[in-house]
Amino acid sequence: MRVHADLRLKDVPGQLVRALEPISSSEGNIVGVVHHHDAVIGGRITVNVTFEVKSQKQLEHILSDWKERDVDVARLSSMLETFEFEYLIVGDIPPSELRELTDGIESMEDLHAVDIRYSVSPDTGEKAAMIFGKVKQKSAMNRVEDFLRQRSMQAGFLLISGLGD
Amino acid sequence: MDIIIVGFGTVGQGVAEALSRKAPTLQSAFKEKIHVVGIFDSRSCDISPKGLDPREVVTRKEKLGKVGPDMEGKAFLEILEDVKYDVMVEVTPTNIKDGEPGFSNMMAALSSGRDVVTANKGPLALRFGDLSRTAEKNGARLRFEASVGGATPVINLAREILMGERIHSIRGIVNGTCNFILNRMKDEGLPFEQALREAQEMGYAEKDPSYDIDGIDSAAKAAILANAIFRRDVTFSDVRRTGIRGVSLEAVELASEERKVVRLVAEVSETRLEVSPRLVPMGHPLAIGGTLNIFQIMTDLAGDITVAGKGAGRMETASAILSDIVALLKEDCTTRKTRS
Repeated sequence: MRVHADLRLKDVPGQLVRALEPISSSEGNIVGVVHHHDAVIGGRITVNVTFEVKSQKQLEHILSDWKERDVDVARLSSMLETFEFEYLIVGDIPPSELRELTDGIESMEDLHAVDIRYSVSPDTGEKAAMIFGKVKQKSAMNRVEDFLRQRSMQAGFLLISGLGD
Repeated sequence: MDIIIVGFGTVGQGVAEALSRKAPTLQSAFKEKIHVVGIFDSRSCDISPKGLDPREVVTRKEKLGKVGPDMEGKAFLEILEDVKYDVMVEVTPTNIKDGEPGFSNMMAALSSGRDVVTANKGPLALRFGDLSRTAEKNGARLRFEASVGGATPVINLAREILMGERIHSIRGIVNGTCNFILNRMKDEGLPFEQALREAQEMGYAEKDPSYDIDGIDSAAKAAILANAIFRRDVTFSDVRRTGIRGVSLEAVELASEERKVVRLVAEVSETRLEVSPRLVPMGHPLAIGGTLNIFQIMTDLAGDITVAGKGAGRMETASAILSDIVALLKEDCTTRKTRS
């Protein structure tokens, strides 16, 4: 989870280190720090910190530490990091199979979203389905791939995967 | 440097021509005489310890269908024992079943401490370990830039120029025929069979296209990259391989609606070894069209490095072979300087 926080710190030396310590001691990953020396309000300066944590619990721990250290959190927003996957399935895919594929993926842990597009050629009757989705953990990408590989092998479909970038 | 050319088809003749054109420049750059002292095709040979005129042999081959006198039942390896040479350019046809005759030819050279430069994928994809161990044991050098990517310098780039990098993975389009077919399907809305026929008519695909479209050629190249760059010990059969036969026009069009193209991609890393059709975003380097080859090398310091070029052809392959000969000359030159 990526978190953006606007902190108001006392304009005295050592305050920034004091504010960042709870992030590193909770094994968070500091991505960026912007220090606004020119915006002093009520004797406090504003610092924008962007960091990554693995869980809500970890974030709560950091917030609690800040409170103890008299770090004023003016604004906090978090964004869930997701990993995208995309697959193209080619073969004689019956509509019932599409339901089973989406159900299978939806039942997985750490799934954020899944979407499917189905296409049948009016001329040749060729069928193809494109599956897009997002997962919350990178490890879940492998579970999706294993599931689709297995289903495709059983049914004789060609599975075309994205580059995973 | 005394060179023999073993195999005198399209590539062998290209090497002869390239050497003929470039030998004077190389001789003056490296202060070493370069002679082609033997040329062999499947049934005949021309040997001269003082050096042949490679162009003359090409003309003879074109006119008579052979390079010189018949070997008269003598085995090539038997004749080879009496030839004095430093480097064998091994360019007999690729055989992906057992790697022969290329494997035995290369082993004969390496076992006797002679260097080998080759474009022959079969022996490298099937018995890389045997070849490299024999080379090492006998103080010989084995170079094979031309075996993957034709004129596109990927092996020497990764092994030499990028030696200080950690290479995470290499992805590449290594078969121009498949790329041509997939590209024609997308651009012209042609069904697979029709695009394949077009590739055959234009001479990109063989009458039996399975070597290309079933991913056999790409898998052989993937195995070579895995062994040479990731120091893995794999063979062609270890590659997870899916060809492009099953790619329908409907699938290509559906991908296109999502601004993606389908490409046959070889992907190699320490843990992955695969050739399969992949969805590639339009505008991505791997979405390259035509018959070009392209490689994306993912490294820790330099980030992604992309190289593209012609993957096949007489002079293109000869160019890659020449780059390996130049590397040998350069190394010899450095060794001479160090000794003196």
